[in-house]
Amino acid sequence: MTGRLTFDAIVVGAGPAGVAAALTMARGGLNVIIIERGRFAGAKNLFGGVFYTHALADVLPDYWERKPPFERPVTEQGYWMLSPDSAIRVMHKSERYLKEPADAYTVLRARFDPWFAEQAAAAGALLITRTTVTQLLKDERGRVIGVDTDRPEGKVYAPVVIIAEGVNNLLTQQAGLIASDLPPKYVALAVKEYINLPAKDLQIRFGLSGPREGVAIDVFGDVTLGLPGTGFIYTDQSGISIGVGMLLDEFVTHRLRPYEVLERFKHHPVVRPYLEGGEVREYGAHLIPEMGYDRMPKLAGDGVMVAGDAAGMVDALHREGTNLAITAGKMAGETALAAHQAGDFSAAFLSRYRRNLEGTFVLQDMKQYRRMTDFLESSPQFMGTYVNLLNEAALRYFTAHGIPKRTMEHDILKMVRERRSFTGVAWDMLKLMRAMRG
Amino acid sequence: MSNRTNGQTAPVADVQLPHVNIDDLIVCLKYYVDEENAHIRIKDLAICAACDPKPCLAFCPAHVFETDRHGRMMVGYQACIECGSCRVACPFRNVDWRLPRGGHGVAYKYG
Repeated sequence: MTGRLTFDAIVVGAGPAGVAAALTMARGGLNVIIIERGRFAGAKNLFGGVFYTHALADVLPDYWERKPPFERPVTEQGYWMLSPDSAIRVMHKSERYLKEPADAYTVLRARFDPWFAEQAAAAGALLITRTTVTQLLKDERGRVIGVDTDRPEGKVYAPVVIIAEGVNNLLTQQAGLIASDLPPKYVALAVKEYINLPAKDLQIRFGLSGPREGVAIDVFGDVTLGLPGTGFIYTDQSGISIGVGMLLDEFVTHRLRPYEVLERFKHHPVVRPYLEGGEVREYGAHLIPEMGYDRMPKLAGDGVMVAGDAAGMVDALHREGTNLAITAGKMAGETALAAHQAGDFSAAFLSRYRRNLEGTFVLQDMKQYRRMTDFLESSPQFMGTYVNLLNEAALRYFTAHGIPKRTMEHDILKMVRERRSFTGVAWDMLKLMRAMRG
Repeated sequence: MSNRTNGQTAPVADVQLPHVNIDDLIVCLKYYVDEENAHIRIKDLAICAACDPKPCLAFCPAHVFETDRHGRMMVGYQACIECGSCRVACPFRNVDWRLPRGGHGVAYKYG
């Protein structure tokens, strides 16, 4: 072997966190390598579909001129609350969503991620694909000094490694930043189909005036059989991303097949007309870390930092993740730049990464929703009982039965009381508020 | 870790799920199968044999796990979409799961 392959920084994983970190460091003048196991950046990545642009604008102010491969701007969004045979739809549409660039776009990751990685490469980062990082290299004092890959003579050295490996946090564990695997109670399994539909059909069905409009729908209730979790329907350029996610533990406990839960959702009487004639072009599944603030890994160790899904940076309530990843990646990159300037790669120095993140929405939101996962698990009635109740109440409210309205109101209240006591409802609302206020 | 044991699985009441032929879904996926190297292995087949609910037969989104007619656990790693569920959800931690070698495994076209 001739000499060591050495860089100023190594990034593991070319997802949003890794690329944002690499881009930041390359622009700061560091010699950076991104190692990606897929055949291209994004080959292994999958998400529901809504991407928020604010974080991207932060690392790449001129991103719009660089023509990112977005699907559709999100100009209408909201919730569908499904009972087995009906739905309450609360959607928000506004003229103010109609601007360019928009605040949110639907995105397909196998199209977006390669573009984002290209921007880092254009800034000087070296992108190596088809290469799996097998382990971290450490010195005799346990400091991370590089990585080993599955390539022959595949060791690569750098004083700082940024782990952006995604939800399967094998290296994060190896770095000693987290003690163990995520328990199935704190990780969601989501399955999704991309269904092809002519843009024209799509626009008619969703009431869109053209390709500059798009819809993002989060679905509760019957979609997950009343269990904690959500479904989603997002419009792409000429197709629909439709999926459903639940805590992995629910699939295990109830012995459910995720693709059958999704199929049931697709057959729901309210959903089915939207998909008519569509062809399934791709099916996929991914885990989503939902361990929350209190179970996040340590974000930095000697010579190493972690960002994105690997660090549990997901806000499930607001379907955010890629924006958290990009902001965190950027800050990890900035910290690496500062570390090079100071010549100090110790955990103590790199811990400023976390301090800086605490000043941003990333850790503040995660902290606020720290009780969310536990709350949903302990209060399953939110997904089942309440959603069904609302639907049945709506049915009575909107139908004239020749019954005096006073009686109708009594009926609705009686229905509520039968399924959940008033103190129960009050208690649930209190718990919900607590989970949301942090 | 997981303190779940055998027999604690419970069906969701009153729900009939439609049958899905998983092969119809998998067929639209692009794979670069590593023929020489299985990235998923069962650590101890006896543990699977003794596992009663065998939740992996259900939760695995690509139906990688299947039992043969003698009830022996088989792993069709070629269909794996690398979500990692089996790695963390096997109640006995009996799945040895690694990342496929670089460039191998699933490659999403849409993602």
